[in-house]
Amino acid sequence: MSLAKTKGYQQVLDWLKKDDKKPFKFQEEAWSYYAKGYSGLVNAPTGFGKTFSLFLAVVIEGINLSEVKDKKRAKDRLQLIWITPLRSLAKDIARAMREVLAELELDWHVGVRNGDTSQAEKLQQKKSMPEVLLITPESLHLLLAQKGSSTLFESLKCIVADEWHELLGSKRGVLVELAISRIKGLQKANKKQHLRVWGISATIGNIEEALDVIEPDTTAKRTIIKAKLNKKIIIKSILPDDIETLPWAGHLGLKLAYKLLPIIEKSKTTLIFINTRGQSEMWYQYLLNIEPELAGRIAIHHGSIDFELRNWIEDALHTGLLKAVLATSSLDLGVDFKPVDTVVQVGSPKGVARFLQRAGRSSHSPGETSKIYFLPTHALELVEAAAIKEAAKENNIESREPVIMVFDTLIQYLVTLAIGDGFEDKIIYDEVKNTHAFKMLLPEEWSWMMQFITSGGDSLTAYQEFKKVSKDEEDGLWKVKSRQIAMRHRLHIGTIVSDAMLKVKFLSGGYIGMVEEYFVSKLKAGDSFTLAGRILEFVHIKDMTVIVRKSKQKKAMSPSWLGGRLPLSSSLGTVLRKKYNEVLNKTHQEEELDVVYPLFLVQQERSHVPRNDELLIEMINNKEGFHLFAYPFEGRLVHEILAALVAYRLSKLVPITFSLAMNDYGFELLSDIEIPMDDAIAYEVFSPENLTEDISLSINSTEMARRKFRDIACISGLVFQGYPGKYVANKHLQSSAGLFFNVFSDFDKNNLLLRQAYDEVFYQQLEEPRLAAALHRIQQSTIVITHPKRFTPLSFPIKVDSLRANMSSEELEHRIEHMKVEVFK
Amino acid sequence: MTITIRDEELILAKERAIFLPNEQLLAISDLHLGKAAHFRKAGLQVPSTLAQSDLNRLSNLLSQYQPETLLINGDMFHHDLNTDIDEFERWKEQYSNLKFVLVKGNHDKLHEKQYENLGIEIHEPSYCTPNFCFIHDAVKCTEENLYPISGHIHPGVSVYGKAKQSLKFPCFYFGNDYAVIPAFSAFTGLSLIKPRANEQVYAVTPTKVVKV
Repeated sequence: MSLAKTKGYQQVLDWLKKDDKKPFKFQEEAWSYYAKGYSGLVNAPTGFGKTFSLFLAVVIEGINLSEVKDKKRAKDRLQLIWITPLRSLAKDIARAMREVLAELELDWHVGVRNGDTSQAEKLQQKKSMPEVLLITPESLHLLLAQKGSSTLFESLKCIVADEWHELLGSKRGVLVELAISRIKGLQKANKKQHLRVWGISATIGNIEEALDVIEPDTTAKRTIIKAKLNKKIIIKSILPDDIETLPWAGHLGLKLAYKLLPIIEKSKTTLIFINTRGQSEMWYQYLLNIEPELAGRIAIHHGSIDFELRNWIEDALHTGLLKAVLATSSLDLGVDFKPVDTVVQVGSPKGVARFLQRAGRSSHSPGETSKIYFLPTHALELVEAAAIKEAAKENNIESREPVIMVFDTLIQYLVTLAIGDGFEDKIIYDEVKNTHAFKMLLPEEWSWMMQFITSGGDSLTAYQEFKKVSKDEEDGLWKVKSRQIAMRHRLHIGTIVSDAMLKVKFLSGGYIGMVEEYFVSKLKAGDSFTLAGRILEFVHIKDMTVIVRKSKQKKAMSPSWLGGRLPLSSSLGTVLRKKYNEVLNKTHQEEELDVVYPLFLVQQERSHVPRNDELLIEMINNKEGFHLFAYPFEGRLVHEILAALVAYRLSKLVPITFSLAMNDYGFELLSDIEIPMDDAIAYEVFSPENLTEDISLSINSTEMARRKFRDIACISGLVFQGYPGKYVANKHLQSSAGLFFNVFSDFDKNNLLLRQAYDEVFYQQLEEPRLAAALHRIQQSTIVITHPKRFTPLSFPIKVDSLRANMSSEELEHRIEHMKVEVFK
Repeated sequence: MTITIRDEELILAKERAIFLPNEQLLAISDLHLGKAAHFRKAGLQVPSTLAQSDLNRLSNLLSQYQPETLLINGDMFHHDLNTDIDEFERWKEQYSNLKFVLVKGNHDKLHEKQYENLGIEIHEPSYCTPNFCFIHDAVKCTEENLYPISGHIHPGVSVYGKAKQSLKFPCFYFGNDYAVIPAFSAFTGLSLIKPRANEQVYAVTPTKVVKV
């Protein structure tokens, strides 16, 4: 029977007709493929009912089956698991789903399960699962960590990973892959396999690969459904009246803030995206200072603001109560705020996909044009704006590289299963081996991991006292017996690692949000700081909660939250190089480049403006030391490796110590002695020869792997992070990732987690083909070496960057002789 | 490196120990024996060879300086008795002529009897020589005429140079009021100290002790 003739399809169609709507073509395609048993990927922009393309597919089948099936057991109800990356999405999607179910008179329940769900509700769900469960990847693993969880998925028909492009490039995507592999395995063991797995993704460069990750079985029925709908986007830069207004470096952009006021005024509601939480707090204060009338009509939204407060802001956005909301990536995704008609991006979004996604947050309805303003925070960002415009026009959108071979995540997963119903290693090995992330897993790596969680990592000395996972004598499954270990593990399920966070609460009651423990440790009673746009006075810390009262001060510092800095994507880098050519040639169309032209004249006068076929190296000496700047325009991550590589190769020529800094345009080597450099040396240190070997040697001599290990140690359970409000103080077991890194380096060189740290630098950060391509390009280029007397518009932003690494070929003792100890003054 | 404090010679060893030739005494602090095994018991995978390597380092020191007394300036045992400590007991058998002295630290919570069985002499709160008062936490020292030598904080020092360079090391600290010696165990972190301008700090590098 064709789908169109079924009862479910007719019912859905009738309901749509009532509102004068009809399904989009891609929705009907999705319904029909789903009915035929396909798994797959739906590629559609936000605002075109991508949710309904899959939700209704499951509903139609549900209606069609409802007559056939007799009364289900209470536990057997779960039909659809809907995975969302953000908690805030779940609430709105659940609301929309419930409305549809009510209209269609289908007696299904929609449940939400994530960090914000109350304990009582979770218990209720355990007794009787709802038909539709909206969940985050972490909460899905927490579900697997429960006793009796393996019986929950018997009647499950479909798993949907929403915003799959967001999850894909992170370890959270691996969590999804692993959970799917287990649920499939459970159904296989029960001989009732009816699970279909679907992803919903915005446009990315590697959409086919995205399908391989979510449904790795190439023999399964798989398809990609593309919505052929074009959304019009207008991109407009907010330009300074003259380039002098904009600083050469910086990240706030407050100087142009006044130009935002008329935009906010004439729009219904404006979403202002700011790259970090700390900066969004500063912007909020600043906007109120220059336009006091905005008080009460603007709000601030980021991940460290309390759940209740965020809820209020989201509701106010729906109802159009707010004139503007300052947001970080916390509002990047999905949710549909009808009154939002204008979006502003402050500072470079660093990638085309992210920029388009944010632009899509305005005028959410199909057919409308989205408008996004770009507000530069420093002069060179205007060139980035021009590059983004071009990349967006040509639909030159980045890929999201899926994460593979992350042993930390796999170790965490195995312990998760062990505190749930336990696992049989042979079965789980097969399941894991069939995921995209671990298809290259070797049997010896698997046994190393089993040993790591059962005997503590040693093959030779099996220590009696190591207790984590052990074999249950009765059923032969691997389990965690210790309740303490189980409890600690549950608190740390997930792959998002942040510094220990403390909740912030008013003396009189009421939560405001969270700040990092490190920030609080610097506060004295009476100090003021801003959070959620309020100025707060620090009173004291009690029970792992920061107690504050309202401050009378007008100005206060903003907390900094450690977030990763976004690197420029490679597609943007290429366009950016081209734009640099165009500025001086005056062959460009973009008004941004006209504005930035005087700055390029300064660059040309002091040094040189690099063309597409040139690599510029600037040698600058001043009282700080001897600087070498080079500008490959390959993005921060590649520059970090390239800087280490060039420093390493130079340090082979003379004993020398470098301090390294980089940004998206180039990198700096700084030394206290003169850096050897001429044309011949330049071509040699940028040579693609011996690349692999030299890179591993240079990675070994910097701290890059050690930094990666910070996350690995947390995810694999070696180090505990505090957990907001649930901090388990256990002084005897405190240590740091750095300490484990040293100890493994000295005593356990074959530790796979240690290897992973190096691999993460090597494969994820490095993108070796990209680096090799860059070096080949440089070999073909003319290398231009200049000796400017002063810093140039290109070098200045790198010089002021504070994140630095070291590289040295001098003897330690020799180095110390030149150095001074920091003393109390 | 040999230094002179209160007219007495002290030898600072890169293995993170102090030798007093006058007393034939070797002093170390924060040995944290059993820390690795304690972690393993809680399901944290600390390599089991770690504890052995601390003891090997101590053996080398003992054969180099041939002291009469080995003083542990607090935090000898991390927590309870465990296999690491069984191993220590076996290791100790070869030093029957050596006097083991423990100045109690905040981690040393075993019963009197257990120390006695291990052949360790307990001193609380301090062990004094003619010039020095060995005590775990310097602020608790009540000996007014002696110079306190303490442990407890696992001291480290940052040094800075031109061109934005910086390095971090475990260190010996000889301040105006008291001294702190580095933690002996390799499985310990560092707590950075900032000396005053006229105070002395000696960084411990892998190959030697260097004044900074």
